[in-house]
Amino acid sequence: MKYYFIIIMLSITPNLFAQHGVSGKVTDTDGIPLGGVNISVPGTSLGTVSDFDGLYSIRATSDRDSLTFSYIGFKTRTVAIGGKSQVDIVLSEDTEQLREVVVTALGIRKETKALGYAVQEVQGAALEKAKEPNFVSALSGKVAGLNIKNSTDLFQNPEISLRGESPLLVIDGIPDRTTDLWKVNADDIESISVLKGATASALYGSVGRNGAIMITTKKGKEGKLTVNFNNSTMFQPSFIRVPDVQTTYGNGDNGNYAYVNGGGGGSEGGGWIWGPKLNQPDPSTPSGYMETPQYNSPIDPETGKRIPLPYISRGKNNIENFFRTGLVQTNNLSIDWGNDKANYRISMSNVYQKGIVPNTDLNNTSFSLGGSITPSDKLRVTSALTYNKQYTNNFPAVGYGPTNYLYNLVLWTGTDVDVRDLRNYWAEGQEGYQQRHYNTSWYNNPYFQAYEYLQGYDKDNLFGNLSAEYQLLPGITLKARAGANVYGLQRTYKEPKSYVGYNEKSLGNFTVQNTNYFDITTDFGVRFEKALTANISLSGEAAYSGYYRLQNFHSTSTDGLNVPGFYNLDNNAGSTLIGENREEKEAIHSVYAFVDFEFYDTFYLSLTGRNDKVSTLAKGYNSFFYPSVSGSVVLSKLTDLPGWISFAKVRGSWSRVSDGKIEDISGLNANAPYNYIQAYDKGQAWSNSQGTRYPSSQYGRLLISGALKPKTSDSWEIGTDIRFFQNRLGIDVAYYQAKDYNNLENIPVSDASGYEGYLLNGNIYRRKGVEFTINATPVRNDNFRWDTQLNFSQYRRYIDEIYGDKTYTANRLKEGDRTDKLNNVSVYQTDGQGHIIYENGFPVSDPYGRYIGYTEPDWTYGFSNTFHYKNFTLSMLFDGRIGGLMYSSTNQKMWWGGISPGTVNQYRDDANNGESTYLAQGVKVIGGSVSYDSNGNITEDTRQYAPNDVPVNYISFMKTTSNAHNENYHYYSQTFIKLRELSLTYDVPETLVSKTPFHAMSVSFVGRNLWLSSKIPNVDPDPGKDNLQAPSTRSLGFNVNLKF
Amino acid sequence: MKSTSKNLFLLLCIALSLVNCTKIDDLQDDPNRALEVPPELLLTQLETRAFNTISLSAALATRQLVYTDGVNSDQYYNWQRSGFGAYDDLKQVQQMILEAERTGLPAYRSLARFFNAYFIIDMTRIFGDIPYTEALQASEANFAPAYDEQKNIYLKVLDELKTASEELSENGEDIRGDVIYNGDALLWRKLINSYYLRVLLSLSHKTGDTDLNIISRFREVVNNPQDFPLLTSEEDNGVLPFHNIEGNRYPLFRNNSLQTAYYMEKTFVDKLKTLKDPRLFAFAQRTPQAVDQNLEVTDFDAYNGLPGSAPLDENVDKAGNGEASMINERYYTEPANEPGILISYAELQFILAEAASREWITQSAEGFYTNGIIASMRFYGISESEIDIYLQNPDVVSEDPSPEMILTQKHIAMFLNTGWQMFFEHRRTGYPEFDISGGGVLNNGRIPKRWMYPAKELTQNQAHLDEAIQRQFPEGDDINAEMWLIRE
Repeated sequence: MKYYFIIIMLSITPNLFAQHGVSGKVTDTDGIPLGGVNISVPGTSLGTVSDFDGLYSIRATSDRDSLTFSYIGFKTRTVAIGGKSQVDIVLSEDTEQLREVVVTALGIRKETKALGYAVQEVQGAALEKAKEPNFVSALSGKVAGLNIKNSTDLFQNPEISLRGESPLLVIDGIPDRTTDLWKVNADDIESISVLKGATASALYGSVGRNGAIMITTKKGKEGKLTVNFNNSTMFQPSFIRVPDVQTTYGNGDNGNYAYVNGGGGGSEGGGWIWGPKLNQPDPSTPSGYMETPQYNSPIDPETGKRIPLPYISRGKNNIENFFRTGLVQTNNLSIDWGNDKANYRISMSNVYQKGIVPNTDLNNTSFSLGGSITPSDKLRVTSALTYNKQYTNNFPAVGYGPTNYLYNLVLWTGTDVDVRDLRNYWAEGQEGYQQRHYNTSWYNNPYFQAYEYLQGYDKDNLFGNLSAEYQLLPGITLKARAGANVYGLQRTYKEPKSYVGYNEKSLGNFTVQNTNYFDITTDFGVRFEKALTANISLSGEAAYSGYYRLQNFHSTSTDGLNVPGFYNLDNNAGSTLIGENREEKEAIHSVYAFVDFEFYDTFYLSLTGRNDKVSTLAKGYNSFFYPSVSGSVVLSKLTDLPGWISFAKVRGSWSRVSDGKIEDISGLNANAPYNYIQAYDKGQAWSNSQGTRYPSSQYGRLLISGALKPKTSDSWEIGTDIRFFQNRLGIDVAYYQAKDYNNLENIPVSDASGYEGYLLNGNIYRRKGVEFTINATPVRNDNFRWDTQLNFSQYRRYIDEIYGDKTYTANRLKEGDRTDKLNNVSVYQTDGQGHIIYENGFPVSDPYGRYIGYTEPDWTYGFSNTFHYKNFTLSMLFDGRIGGLMYSSTNQKMWWGGISPGTVNQYRDDANNGESTYLAQGVKVIGGSVSYDSNGNITEDTRQYAPNDVPVNYISFMKTTSNAHNENYHYYSQTFIKLRELSLTYDVPETLVSKTPFHAMSVSFVGRNLWLSSKIPNVDPDPGKDNLQAPSTRSLGFNVNLKF
Repeated sequence: MKSTSKNLFLLLCIALSLVNCTKIDDLQDDPNRALEVPPELLLTQLETRAFNTISLSAALATRQLVYTDGVNSDQYYNWQRSGFGAYDDLKQVQQMILEAERTGLPAYRSLARFFNAYFIIDMTRIFGDIPYTEALQASEANFAPAYDEQKNIYLKVLDELKTASEELSENGEDIRGDVIYNGDALLWRKLINSYYLRVLLSLSHKTGDTDLNIISRFREVVNNPQDFPLLTSEEDNGVLPFHNIEGNRYPLFRNNSLQTAYYMEKTFVDKLKTLKDPRLFAFAQRTPQAVDQNLEVTDFDAYNGLPGSAPLDENVDKAGNGEASMINERYYTEPANEPGILISYAELQFILAEAASREWITQSAEGFYTNGIIASMRFYGISESEIDIYLQNPDVVSEDPSPEMILTQKHIAMFLNTGWQMFFEHRRTGYPEFDISGGGVLNNGRIPKRWMYPAKELTQNQAHLDEAIQRQFPEGDDINAEMWLIRE
């Protein structure tokens, strides 16, 4: 009986005493409350975090316990409770031990002060509220040197460049070479570290040569069971940028329009928007307006002819009438729990995106498991596994052409057509065979396209990793890790009969494409740590790493469909199905090692080395070594600095990275990873007159050197990190340079040599750039805190050496030129004083390409501000670019087609009346001649000029020139500023939360992409390119976060 | 616990290492492409390149069609540069030779001589001097070949063509992958010899050149039909058939521009109307106005064209008013339509007719001329009775057809076919006249004589290019300059 009593006592005792509550307030030495301080009870799994007012409450197991208070940048303190129920505490800033820790290559956490290179970290919390459909877009403007060009189209990857190059994506230490930006849900991200430059990622090998975006996913935390629910709902109710089109003139050409059969020729005007003026009064017609036969004219039963309809501007709101309110809804539920032996997290997410185009959407569902076990203090095993599914029955096709919605809706449809009249999209009596539209040769009815042309996408991703660490001896740990990416992707294309492609009408088609992908990366290594003296320590790692990839692709298409709308390969109308398949295998075997030295907490030095053997270069050239060195000095420890400088550090690094994979070679991409092999490609099969089918082959367009070495970059960077006024102001500056040599390039050669180019190790480039990040907390008092960050960066790339004995590259660049120089642009001839030369009233083309500017922006910047007031947080982020040119198809086509508002003028009315009155500003040649050398320089010029005095038909002029000479040949400045993000969050106070079943609650109202000011008209410069982009939408919504 | 942990760790390591033990060397063959192929795979490829001769640009430049979607440089004669793309075809020929030698199939070596000649002539007549002797030597590290004088190119080509025909009489077995003649070496010899005559006639300004001996070479062929068989009927036409199979369809099938922005050229239509030529009905549609007036398809008054030299806006207006005929629907509705012609029996007959009229050969021009017309009309499916009627038209027939008549018939026979051949015939002879009277013509109202060299040569082969330009054209690389071929 005694035993039973003791057991009962033991088991209930903790519960009895667990009621011991402690509360209090945490402040800094100035008395300002500190929110977010971690408070834990040593020896237990209990813990909490102070709220914004510095208040906390915690239930300890015993009044004999202690409390530990820790906060980044402050000295950790542990105090005994000593029976008190109120423990207020003052934390002092730890300028000596600024223990900021970031995740670096291979998932190793390092203190920032020890780093010899630039790393910037974004906390997952910053991505939780204002949701983007993929997490990368949410990084826009947040990291200096990371330039993200967001697409305005649904389910299109943003373009990411880090210091001008495309970085590696790493998930939990495992490189993701599929660079699928959609497979990680923002709610599962603990933090994102951006490792800039090659040094930071030399340890990943070649794939890391351009820096890395390292994602650390959330794991279970020690402490009580936490259930977290996050919902974010964003609507896209309106546009921040949409083409501004004229509504004065309608479809047709030279002021004429009469519908015949939709073929587009003759009186239908060839599909131009150079038709008659709309809304012209005509007292002779029943409507009182000018009337003409149109596509929706009723047919006179007696004559069989179309009855003219009034030619009026019905379609002024076609954009608003066609597009619908978009929606992005994200739901995440996660559960985590852990103790000192094991932890575990389960997370389920779903992102549903409803496109602004009818009948388009995207579903993205993830299920993740992750955790670790520590069966003994010597062994720790961690694992994570995520299943992700991305699927849609239809998402919009992009790019200029009849597959583009704006092309059909605005660019090439005059406002005489009202899109609402097109809802019924089959021609009467020809359902399934012929769409109904005002022009069925060039354009698709937008509704027909939305509901009948379907692009399906179904991708199953499975990725995860398993790692184990075993402590062999004190200071020596064995490590093993493997991570795999697997996916299966099926894409389908359903193309209805009469669908208009760029230059032909479809016979109906069905295409199925499948890709199967598998890769695995395994690492085995040994890590050692040794304190040589009290102030000198040494650590390092040596490891083997293996990588293997297998990818299969298969595509089958019909050659026309027999039965319309029945999408099955069996419904093939042609004599044979069209098929294609490809198999790729690739492997890299590597050994690497690194050593870190630390002296007196002041000097840090890190050395790395790696040798790769790759399958993507020929034998004898496929094994190579590359090293790096980096270091930093904490100046503030070295000398006595003025009191207002709290911390100062300088850093520097040098690295060499080699890469043995040939990529980005036009015409060779389909052969990756076998690009180094010269071989025959498949040619067009043909049948003879008896119908016997013969396959064919063609030899490649590039000559491939048999001695290709890996391409190599040598880069160095220096930087400094200085904090002032007790860390209230911090400035981080980085400057870097890289020399890229042995580049695996297509060196152009005379076509007469038989090849377009020679693939060899050639050309030398220099990249350089500078990045500034300024963090400040200008105001911090009891109730209010203002944090601000400004970052800006510049990047340049030059060609330093042109391979061979050549003065110019194919783009007419000379040695020393920036590679983004537009020096070979087709322009019109000028007289040397900037006046365009005209012949017959039309500008004369220059047979030599000329310079018009640079494409790289001068600066890319982001400016964020966060204001905390009591439980409210207001944050806003502006970002943008200054300078740099981009070509705009939208603007060019608007002038060309006649839909630009700039074409509404008297000349156009004159042209409609058959008069040629447009006199372009410039000169004409009245005598003499000009000769050029073969570089296009004028060698002799005896031309005499007179002002251009030949008036021409305005419409002919615009159709021929697109007004290019007045619009910088449609290269526009990218300069813009955007209100990227605005959010207002209310954290429900503890006092209110305690009355609910929840542990914490917050509600946010968020907006993204709210406002844009730019130099370029009609398009959003954010994507950095414009090939008729979708309208840029504004997102508004809310976010609810609940913790149980 | 310690040893359990250690064993567990080792177990994990073994498991992880099992999944990744592929050898690098095992992955170094491309499973998707071949390093060597039989030469027939290259022959098929070359045939589909050389015989696919449908060119809208050529139809604009030769006043057969008119374009209304902008000021077109082919129609208004202000073009600038052309390309060296055919060197890629020449490289495929080079590969076919290598594969033929590897597999011991000499017929491909002989066919290669023809394709070599065809592609190099195709380019030299565009530019003038071009690389030939040093061309295609990339594998010997010559990436900037010197330019050959045009005359030397022609000299070599003439010998190559002769050799090709001679060799094929010996080694012409075992030609596979042939979608033109199904491996019939005799037909290939007929085509090669006929093409040889085309090249000789293209040198008609060079009859006095004793290195070339144009006339005697021409006579040698015509007078020795045993050694130099020629195309004997339209059955022998050198044509690429199109098929209703993806990738093999007529290149303009379902083409949007052809249905909306191309119209028949007025001088061409007027010529056919004057001659009461029923081929007009095979080429064109009635004008929309004629359709409105219910004019018959066979009514010549139902057809009209737009003047290729008129300003764009005038043509757009006329087209908009339904005054212009579009091209016959079959060009964009029939997937096979008509084959692409490299050289036809009709062309051969017109070549012989012109040679006779130039008195290079002793036969009378009339028979060749009439045969050519008949062959062309049969190609377009004109009935024998209509052909007979046509051949009684005094505007058509002649005992002694003039060069203008012969070339006019050639112009009609080459409607939207045989590539740019008709443009070069006009450049050589001035016939038939291409209208430049309208206000739309650019280039100071001149028809260009050539194209400028590709811009890529400026950066990649500058020294040789400069040299070639200087020795040929004192005025520089100009579209109006006269190359050796057309200088007297």
